[in-house]
Amino acid sequence: MTHDPMTPSRHALARGLLGGGALFLIWEIAARGFDLPAYILPAVSEILLRFWTARDVLGGAAVYTLGEAFGGYLLGGAVGVALALCVTLVPVLRRVIVPAATAVNSVPIVAFSPLILLWFGMGAGSKVVMVAVAVSFTMFVSALAGFDRVDERSVNLMRSFGASRAAILWKLRLPTALPLILSGMRLSTVRSLIVAIVTEMLGAYGGLGWVIYQAVIVIDFVQVWAAIFVASAASLAFFGFVSFLERRLVFWR
Amino acid sequence: MKRRSFLSTLGAAASAAVLGAPAMAQDLTEVSLRLKWLPQAQFVGFYMAKEKGYYAEEGLDLTINPGGPNLLTENLVATGSDTFGLSGGTDSVFAAVEKGLPITCIGIAHQETPFVFVSKADGPVQEIADFRDADITTWFTGANYVLFGMLAANGLDRSAMSIQPQQVSVTPFVDGQVDVVTATRYNEYYTLMTRVGEDNLKRFVPEDYGVSFPRDTLIVGNDFAAENPELVQGFVRASVKGWLDTFADKEAAIDLILSEAPTLERPHQEFMLDEIEKIMLAGAAAEDGLFAIDMDAVSSAHQILVDYEVLGGPIDLEAAFDSQFVDAIPAAERLPQ
Amino acid sequence: MTAIPASAGAFPAARRFGAVLPLLRGLLALAAVLVAVELIILAFGIRPYVLPRPSMVLEAILRTPAAYRDAILRTGTEVLLGFGAGALFGVWIGVAFSRLRFLRETVFPIFIVSQTIPVIAFGALVVMWFGNTILAKAVIVFYLTFFPVTVNTLLGMRTVDQKQVQLMQSFGASDAVIMRKLRFPTALPHIFVALRIASALGLSGAVVGEWFGDTTGLGVLLLQGMYAENMVAIWAAILCAAALGIAFFSAIGWAEKRIVFWGGETA
Repeated sequence: MTHDPMTPSRHALARGLLGGGALFLIWEIAARGFDLPAYILPAVSEILLRFWTARDVLGGAAVYTLGEAFGGYLLGGAVGVALALCVTLVPVLRRVIVPAATAVNSVPIVAFSPLILLWFGMGAGSKVVMVAVAVSFTMFVSALAGFDRVDERSVNLMRSFGASRAAILWKLRLPTALPLILSGMRLSTVRSLIVAIVTEMLGAYGGLGWVIYQAVIVIDFVQVWAAIFVASAASLAFFGFVSFLERRLVFWR
Repeated sequence: MKRRSFLSTLGAAASAAVLGAPAMAQDLTEVSLRLKWLPQAQFVGFYMAKEKGYYAEEGLDLTINPGGPNLLTENLVATGSDTFGLSGGTDSVFAAVEKGLPITCIGIAHQETPFVFVSKADGPVQEIADFRDADITTWFTGANYVLFGMLAANGLDRSAMSIQPQQVSVTPFVDGQVDVVTATRYNEYYTLMTRVGEDNLKRFVPEDYGVSFPRDTLIVGNDFAAENPELVQGFVRASVKGWLDTFADKEAAIDLILSEAPTLERPHQEFMLDEIEKIMLAGAAAEDGLFAIDMDAVSSAHQILVDYEVLGGPIDLEAAFDSQFVDAIPAAERLPQ
Repeated sequence: MTAIPASAGAFPAARRFGAVLPLLRGLLALAAVLVAVELIILAFGIRPYVLPRPSMVLEAILRTPAAYRDAILRTGTEVLLGFGAGALFGVWIGVAFSRLRFLRETVFPIFIVSQTIPVIAFGALVVMWFGNTILAKAVIVFYLTFFPVTVNTLLGMRTVDQKQVQLMQSFGASDAVIMRKLRFPTALPHIFVALRIASALGLSGAVVGEWFGDTTGLGVLLLQGMYAENMVAIWAAILCAAALGIAFFSAIGWAEKRIVFWGGETA
């Protein structure tokens, strides 16, 4: 059985920490050694200290942003897989949905932000929608590639044994597509948080993007970096959680 | 068989651009000006000075770099990425100096607060006291302190009021979901005029309520200014000439800015330039000429930010604002004929 | 020779027409959609600042065609540079990760972390490090594109059947040959999925990159429109971005058909 590269063993975890530790060390030495001002690169230790002193602001913002990202992630994931299913089950739709989805996706998501802020307001709603748009396409492409991987001969074989469409889907297409769907879901975790943060920076009532935006205005770069560290940590936790689910599901299979 | 991995043919090289020190080219010194936003009529005077060769006459080979969202002009000038900057305003200069960024303000373009607060002429907000029960939106990027200052100066308690962050669009105001909206005189106000009609709008101008926030500040890095005072002087002189030419022939100025950014709308840019002219020649500039630094206005804005604890404490205004370069040019040469 | 279908061989003109047909159909579909949107907006009296009529948007593009052409060219070049480098690097590092466990376990987590950073928060750093050059934008595109390619290359390498590897080894095939003939072709479908995703990400990256102080490009046009709340200009920029995105996407699809077809034969 192959070992999944993205789900770390204890050994791998130690090495990951080693890599991160080395990076932080070089960073700290560079910042302190060259006596870099905070507006160029603050020292890691200073950022970590801010982690602690601003924990209420950062923690609250992280929860807010994660909530938006998770909502949009679920919505977008469901839409993406559902669309891929539609296209697979009703091949006529492919000629309509694939170009339409491509067209929508080929527009940088940030381009939609003024429209979505206008239509859904400055609150969490607009962020959920932005994340959903971003995630749904990744999921659509991944799921569609997964469903397409099925050998048509196997489909015909099952059909000749009288299997229903639902049965073919459940027994054949879904298991074949699962690894790609899951890899798409994993890629989307990180994306969902970034889109939520970027949208927050364009207009919001709270969240990590809002904290970053405010900090840039008052030229508090330590706060910017601290918020970004929190965003990274939140993304990693999200990523780890989905990787964990993935391992369980693949194992199940 | 030749054992050559296909990997060897693949490679990516990420090379950092070398940001060199000002290089000499035909006796001109390479310098750059970082704007606070993208090319538009608000900045056309600098483009005009460049177009007419005024910077070259002063020995400067000037590149004009546009700004963008989340790009702080003070930051880029402080690090030496750019030589000069047209930055946010007195508020962003205070913040930068407080944080120890080595920059100095050498001129102020907008003598009056460029923001106004707008309500509907037939709406519930007719005077500043009506702000108390109104739904207000403003930008929490500086304009909010102008509003807070106005409210405090008129005895209104903002903690009991509904003040929300303003989104990218004025549509909520147009649709009546918001009673008071914040606008710059030269941009959002134009949008409001085209949608609602000027007659249906009521403006609350900060200066009428005892608050002034001069904005669009000209800044330079301290090291550069100390080493090249004559170049800084030349830059200011050329910029003033460019702006005076702009006001003398606005038609040509609009043509110039539209050649820089062809997708802009001409009527909007014409309106913008008219408003910019008013703001730049208002207040102290009416007497002293363009880019005058009115220390009274600066310190009153400073006091508001200290009062609201946006600044940790007072900063050294004399060090942060240096008017020697503008003062070296006689007022008559800084005013339209 | 007689087996060649008449429609393809005997009438070259018809064959050429056959190649143009899907494109023509796509354009017709697009035109139909635009007309439908136009009619809906007119029928329901939708206000232009909620949704402008397509004819107004097209008119805006035609008023200053050079500006939009330059923007598309500029943004397209940025994406091409960054995406090309990102795709090559992604495949290369993905292959390296699949072979070198230590490297993978030490560096891959840093890659993941790097992808959790919103570039827009670091506009000033990007300008400080790379200036206002096209390189700065290409670097951002690179940064956004290499990661999905790395992940899927790694994944693709992992799906290789170990029995086939052993079989090839028993015939004395070198690692390089196994890579070229077996591992790489097996991973290709995965890589192409990533390339599709990456092309869209790359375009986003180029647009955001242009927000850090630039004079041309679709990101600049978008920002100008956003600032003036000019919905027509925003939609004009969106339309150009869509055209560019579809072009990239189709190019990748075309390459996939050619290359994976070839891969399928040799694998």
